[in-house]
Amino acid sequence: MTWSPLQNSRAAMIAAVAAFALASFPPTPSAAQTGEIRIGAIVPSSGPFAEWGRTNTITLQMLEEEVNAAGGVNGAKLKITIYDDAAKPAQAANSLRKLAGDDQVLAVAGPLTSSACEVAFPVANQTGVTTTSQASSKPGVAAANRPWAFRNTVDEAVLAKVSVPYFQKTFGIKSVGIIYDAKDAVSTAIATRIMPGVMKENGVQVLNADNLLSFNTGELDVSAQVTTLKSLNPAGVIIGADYSQAVTVLREMKRQGLTVPVIGGTPLISSAILSAAPEIPVVAPATFYATMDQASAKAFVAKLQPRLRASSGLPPEIEPSMYDANIYETVQMYIEAVKSAGISGKPGELEAARTKVRDHMTNLKNFQGLAGPISFQPTGDAAKAFYIVQGQNGAWSTKERGCSAAGGC
Amino acid sequence: MFLQQLVNGLTLGAVYTLVALSFSLVMGILGILNLAIAELFMIGGFVGFSLLVSGYPIPVALGAGMLAAGLFAIVIERVAYRPLRDAPLVTPMLSTLGFSIILQNIATNYWGSDPLQLPGYFLATRFEAGGVQIGAMQLVVLAATIILVGLLALLVRRTKIGRALRAIAENRDVARSLGVSANQLTMVAFLLSGLLAGAAGVLVGMHYTAITPYVGVDTGLKAIAVMVVGGVTNIWGALLAGPIIGIAEVMTVAYGGSQLRDFIVYGIMILILLIRPQGLLGEARAEWSQRV
Amino acid sequence: MISTYNAGLFAEIGILILGALSVYVILSTGQLSLGNAGFMGIGAYQTSFLTVEAGLPITLALLVSAIGCAALGFLVGFPALRLRGIYLAIATLGFGEMVRSLFLNLDRLGGAGGYHGMKSISGVYIWSWTLGILVAIMLLERSRLWLEFRAVHDDETAAGLVGLNATAIKVGAFGLGAGIAGIAGGLFAHHYLYIEPGNFGFERSIEFVLAAILGGSTVAPGAVVGAGLLVLLPEWLRFLADWRLAAFGALLVLMLLIRRQGILDRTTFSRLGLRRRAA
Repeated sequence: MTWSPLQNSRAAMIAAVAAFALASFPPTPSAAQTGEIRIGAIVPSSGPFAEWGRTNTITLQMLEEEVNAAGGVNGAKLKITIYDDAAKPAQAANSLRKLAGDDQVLAVAGPLTSSACEVAFPVANQTGVTTTSQASSKPGVAAANRPWAFRNTVDEAVLAKVSVPYFQKTFGIKSVGIIYDAKDAVSTAIATRIMPGVMKENGVQVLNADNLLSFNTGELDVSAQVTTLKSLNPAGVIIGADYSQAVTVLREMKRQGLTVPVIGGTPLISSAILSAAPEIPVVAPATFYATMDQASAKAFVAKLQPRLRASSGLPPEIEPSMYDANIYETVQMYIEAVKSAGISGKPGELEAARTKVRDHMTNLKNFQGLAGPISFQPTGDAAKAFYIVQGQNGAWSTKERGCSAAGGC
Repeated sequence: MFLQQLVNGLTLGAVYTLVALSFSLVMGILGILNLAIAELFMIGGFVGFSLLVSGYPIPVALGAGMLAAGLFAIVIERVAYRPLRDAPLVTPMLSTLGFSIILQNIATNYWGSDPLQLPGYFLATRFEAGGVQIGAMQLVVLAATIILVGLLALLVRRTKIGRALRAIAENRDVARSLGVSANQLTMVAFLLSGLLAGAAGVLVGMHYTAITPYVGVDTGLKAIAVMVVGGVTNIWGALLAGPIIGIAEVMTVAYGGSQLRDFIVYGIMILILLIRPQGLLGEARAEWSQRV
Repeated sequence: MISTYNAGLFAEIGILILGALSVYVILSTGQLSLGNAGFMGIGAYQTSFLTVEAGLPITLALLVSAIGCAALGFLVGFPALRLRGIYLAIATLGFGEMVRSLFLNLDRLGGAGGYHGMKSISGVYIWSWTLGILVAIMLLERSRLWLEFRAVHDDETAAGLVGLNATAIKVGAFGLGAGIAGIAGGLFAHHYLYIEPGNFGFERSIEFVLAAILGGSTVAPGAVVGAGLLVLLPEWLRFLADWRLAAFGALLVLMLLIRRQGILDRTTFSRLGLRRRAA
């Protein structure tokens, strides 16, 4: 029997509507097999930060393999479910709901970007799942979303208090100019709210305080901004931007001959920025970088780097990033929580188990991170050691050590 | 500083001119906004970059970038435009949007989301005269823009293909009845716009020495503004409007506050649309009323 | 009991439906607006300010900002009369970008740091607005006013000749669309509890247009199908990992090719027995 085009399209319509309805039905949450410890992760594997998301994914896969090869957690298998949020807040929120509701995870590592965290953290509180970001450093994001939100990062305001004095002393800086990415919240916070105050405290004058120069994420041409900056004759430049954008600024600075020292926040840390203008010293805070001289950091890099480089979607010279280290530590913290609370992964105990994980994180003291001990502060941000590093001539070198907790690390 | 900013504005304007022309080739002739042009620009840039980084000479990289963008443009014409050419304009426009998403994904997967950088010596040569600096690469971009615009104008005014393109733009049906093959020429229009966008991508990439998969997004929108200000139907309009917008943007940064510049650029565009919709050098045309 | 994941998706769909409707209403008079995210942003910030700092209850705040956005829509509608087709679309694009730029610079409302403090609303509340407005528009579609809209859409000059006030209709449509987009914004703000200027740029405007066109730009319920697809497809395509976005783009192209008038159109709609045929 052949159908007329009319009937065809009607059938197609009905089928489409039916499919739509069916697909929206809540899927039966897969029965939690006895003895499965489930952790979730939200990373940006597609979109503008795809590389970070993909390295995060490989890092977590490595961790999952390691743990299960060593017998799992409390005898149960570890299962890490990773979702991609494409760095979009709406997708981050959806992913968290899915992990909390459908996948019934004990805790979540992620999201990465502050914009996504701002939207996902409230969901964490609504669903009662511990969520820890591996990268967000915009001031106050976790603090506004207690008790379930954490960040394994240090607030930029705290970092600036150590990086700026070093910058000022080392290069004898008396005046700076500020340029930043106006579309990015962390960059804007660093450039407009944090740095001016800290600079002033250190006796450095911000030359363009009433006309802070900005550009938009993704913009190619910052020649006008750099020319204006140069005309002010600053002894140093503050770049409030992520490293991909900072590369553009540095190259323009080099092109125009403004080769003065640069300082910024953690988003600058990368290997890409080292090749932008190698003769310009770049000072930034980091909680981890691939060529660090610490035993645990080195061991981590030694096992992760080959995996990253072997991956077809990643460039051959790639190195583990601060975010890989942070997410690795986070999931290890969760595992420690599960072990010490005796969580077995049986269904029915989920809410209690989640609360235990949260409490463990809240009271975390002296967890052995890759670069030093870590605790959490009441704000939800980490109390961990950080380093002021200087990038020049293609490499980072550690200059100073700081700690984000008042009483030391 | 003023003169230096002027030079900056001219260079930025040259970038806008090239991309604006790519847009207007398709829009002037077919009336649709090809939202994938920004990504053709980006892909051309990436292809050119990859070759430059591997050590191939500039002309080869330029050619390869143009070719890559041109090929994708043809695919877009065949798949996104041709089957939908009788549909309301918004439909093929959205179809090109689909392609822009695809191209961004391809670039991210193939080259990564981190900036691809050229070795530092590309920035090396600079000339200085009376406090104003201009790089060798900058001069190349400016010169290449003028040459490309000139070539395009020549093509459109003097050659048979150019005449046919203008005929289709004027009135599709009459042109067809006169024996002009609309399909073939649509392909030519798309191909040309792709080649131009690809060239822009490589040139621009060489000047700024860094490129990411999202480099087309902001530039693309501003180039649409430039196209409108210059006049969609006139090639020299883009050459005029590019520097105007570029300089306006640069001067806003230097003297007004960098935050105002988007406002100013789109404000100028809207002003022109309201006061002189055909643009500075364009001619009034009937099919503006074409149903969207 | 609906899972929290699906509840979140439904809320998102509800909001996008309103966005699509805002474009649909304006498109029905023959005007394409690529800047409705600007109105959404204004609605979002306005509503949030009213609930967070002025202490208004959410429904009142939504109504006030809807009126505010509609007023702005009327204002925009007047100069829009001078432009047609793709040029109008480009002008609205510029308008949308200017609004986004405005909020980026408005430190009083957070600037790039965004705005916080909103209290959560339920999916049911969101859908009350969505269904309410959808039904209102469907009723409008059966009215004489809608015939006037379509007349202006089809041939403005002829419409004028038979005595229709094309100006009032076109400007009115803009106002109506802007108001609906404003409500979408207010609901968005109270669903995600955080807004930033980047949420309301060209990408969002195009999302609205896509939902309207894909779902069917000649009937209001098309917005439902379009919004549903745009929200659900990226979720369904998760299994494609690195190629998720490309697959999404490819599906868009495919859907437009296969069914250019959108999934729902008048004939399909009436064949599903959901609408009485026009006499």
